[in-house]
Amino acid sequence: MDGGRNLAMVRELLKHLLKKPATLKYPFEKRVPFKGFRGGPIWDMRRCTGCELCYKVCPSEAIEMIGKGLEAEFKHYLDRCLFCGQCEEVCPVNAITMTEEYELASYDRAEMIIEFKREEKASKNLSRSSKNV
Amino acid sequence: MSYPTIRIPFGPQHPFHIEPEYFMFEVDGERVVSVKPRIGYVHRGIEKAIEDRTFIQNLYLIERICGICSHAHTTCYTQAIEEILGVEIPPRARFIRTIIAELERIHNHYLWLGLAAHEIGFETLFMYTWRDREIVMDLLELLSGNRVHYAMNTLGGVRRDITPEIVEKIRKGLDALEERMRYYKKIAMTEPTISKRANGIGILKPKDALALCAVGPTLRASGIKRDVRADDPYIAYSEIPFNVITYDRCDVISRLFVRCDEVFESVNIIRYAMEHLPEGKIRIKVPRRVPEGEAVSRVEAPRGELIHYAKTNGTTKPERYKVRSPTLGNIPSLCKMLVGGYIADIPIVIAGIDPCFSCTDRMAFVNVNNNKQWILSGEELRRYAIKWYRKE
Amino acid sequence: MVPEGIMALIQILLFPGFLFLIALAFFHEWVDRKLLAKLQNRYGPLYTGPAGLLQPFADFIKLLSKEDITPKAADKFMFSCAPLFMLSFPLLALFLIPVTGLTASISFEGDLIFLMFLFTLIAITIFIAGWSSVSRFSTVGGVRAAFQMLGYEIPMTLVMVGPAIAARTLSISQIVGWQTHNAAWFIWLQPIGFAIFVLCLLAELEFIPFDIPEAETEIVAGWFTEFSGRKLALIRLGKDVELVLAASLITSLFLGGPNSSLPILATGFFLLKTTLAVVLFTTLRALFARFRIDQMIAGAWKYLIPLAILQMVLIQLGFGRW
Repeated sequence: MDGGRNLAMVRELLKHLLKKPATLKYPFEKRVPFKGFRGGPIWDMRRCTGCELCYKVCPSEAIEMIGKGLEAEFKHYLDRCLFCGQCEEVCPVNAITMTEEYELASYDRAEMIIEFKREEKASKNLSRSSKNV
Repeated sequence: MSYPTIRIPFGPQHPFHIEPEYFMFEVDGERVVSVKPRIGYVHRGIEKAIEDRTFIQNLYLIERICGICSHAHTTCYTQAIEEILGVEIPPRARFIRTIIAELERIHNHYLWLGLAAHEIGFETLFMYTWRDREIVMDLLELLSGNRVHYAMNTLGGVRRDITPEIVEKIRKGLDALEERMRYYKKIAMTEPTISKRANGIGILKPKDALALCAVGPTLRASGIKRDVRADDPYIAYSEIPFNVITYDRCDVISRLFVRCDEVFESVNIIRYAMEHLPEGKIRIKVPRRVPEGEAVSRVEAPRGELIHYAKTNGTTKPERYKVRSPTLGNIPSLCKMLVGGYIADIPIVIAGIDPCFSCTDRMAFVNVNNNKQWILSGEELRRYAIKWYRKE
Repeated sequence: MVPEGIMALIQILLFPGFLFLIALAFFHEWVDRKLLAKLQNRYGPLYTGPAGLLQPFADFIKLLSKEDITPKAADKFMFSCAPLFMLSFPLLALFLIPVTGLTASISFEGDLIFLMFLFTLIAITIFIAGWSSVSRFSTVGGVRAAFQMLGYEIPMTLVMVGPAIAARTLSISQIVGWQTHNAAWFIWLQPIGFAIFVLCLLAELEFIPFDIPEAETEIVAGWFTEFSGRKLALIRLGKDVELVLAASLITSLFLGGPNSSLPILATGFFLLKTTLAVVLFTTLRALFARFRIDQMIAGAWKYLIPLAILQMVLIQLGFGRW
């Protein structure tokens, strides 16, 4: 029953005593995603023309438009978003970028709605690290 | 059997299930006398939801039928719709689709190896294989932007291109993956506790496998050489040489070896594809309205043969869509394999067919006793369930 | 001078009594979890206390605060008693093992047999715990535990008697004394016995490859599926104390025990050797997959018992003793 001790397994096991564990001590050690990672999208309102293409193409109705044309503003529902990138692909003026933010969770549902308004530059910052408990 | 048998329910919640399903086992001591499966716990009404969304939106819905075979589902979908549209995607797109499909296969088989090890109580192997899975997930993240649900396919081609730097990184990753799989195969062959738990367990004779319509590695572990990539080549498989792996011991350890060897084949396919990657565009534009028509498309998902059927009627949304996933095809064979074994063998045998119950639950029902098939609508399903529980 | 009664009370309750043993149980669980994690390339307990030392204790406290549910169909009396027995039998057995010197708190001629009896009682408690829970998973787990006992009981008894024959005494304290005075440990005098003993203890502790009665992936948690809250806390503590018992048995019978009569040195040696035994158990745990119950019993009767008998024969022929 315990006849052939598999030496390969024993050697592998003992090698691990000297190896550094494969776990990252999150949140003290965070993994940086690769370039091109599909994180949360942001809208550059200076470029947006209000063509409504992103709103129509979103598979889960995560984009809500308020107003029309050059006055249009957006509400993006992070808790519905699939992060598929279809909105970024379809935008004719490249106003949408998928950032590399992945720490988007929150205790409060109200924080999951991001608003993009017209007034000034860079509206809501997607960075949540200050809000993370 | 004149003794009373105990009935042990497995599921829907059980620490061993990754997804809920229900098996009612009648056992006599430690031996299984009969098994009654019930599926449908993950029924999400996807086929109906598909009829409500445009073709582009459906890409993402269909991708989420399953977390691990997501690329196989979208490949099957895009193939079906492209066939109705009558378009040919560019060769570069075909090769990129193949590379992702094979990376997905490697991902799936590593995950499966860890789960199978966990089923037989080999925690250490579980931890090691899932650590090595990170290599392939990192490669997929590099390629597609996400670790699961790669969303690389689109109607008319693929969405992202492969740069030479990515090709270099994939090569390095593949070398590491291949070396680790060689090591795990050696352990599977020589470790006495594994062979005691998997040798001669869950036997499925070839004629039973054919009669009960088994698919994928389950079928190939019974010696039958059937693989959609070879029988009915799609995307780039007609241009890439590879072997169809079979083993003929018909037990769980054969299924393990089939999957290990398939990883080696996948590594070779990816290397060949990357070397012979044709230049050119990666996608073509397709119209939003799809003309009337219907198509059936098959791919070899990591778990077996996946079939999609699409019917369109000239609008921007499909009229009817049907998915038959590989696990559904394997359930009758599963019941055959379980009867006569021990309780302790149940987890490894179920894990041996690599079940994905997320893929399985649509609206079709198969009566495992007499292989009759019928389809129930939502209302009929509800009435049937109420009647069934009243009888209990 | 402190009166005898107070001394005895301190010995029982504090050192080397309950408090010490329970603290040692938590420490050994930490060693087990941390080493298993390192072998599996991960961290194990990390944040509770320095390097996660307080994690087993924290788990215990957390369980005490959880809801304690008794299944309707369960045999209430046995269901409530089983965790208590699960904790008290190993604790009682530990009083027979020398910690602070060459004699244990309780020692008499024949206490080795008493210890074997306690082991059997523990196995029966496991069976009763599973049976009285009535749920299907518990029944199967309890029955498997009883089956497993059929496999390891006899070889374990045979090899435990080996050192007793060589030292010509049935008292554990005397066996430790013999090893110290003759500067000979039974691990090299009776290596076959040592190997068999380690395997049988793995089966008794329900560690992989013999954690069949508790097989998580097959029968949820086996015989202790239905226990929750305080009862589960006591059962888990009982299992940890059993680990201490197994480690200290190996130490006393085969590794020479405390090896000195000076209290501080003796306790130090005792701690060192029991921790080494736990390291051995954990490494074996990481190495294997789980056996099936029929394979385990067949293996026990086909290999362990003949080897144990061989060990006995060797002892009679003069090897393994002075």
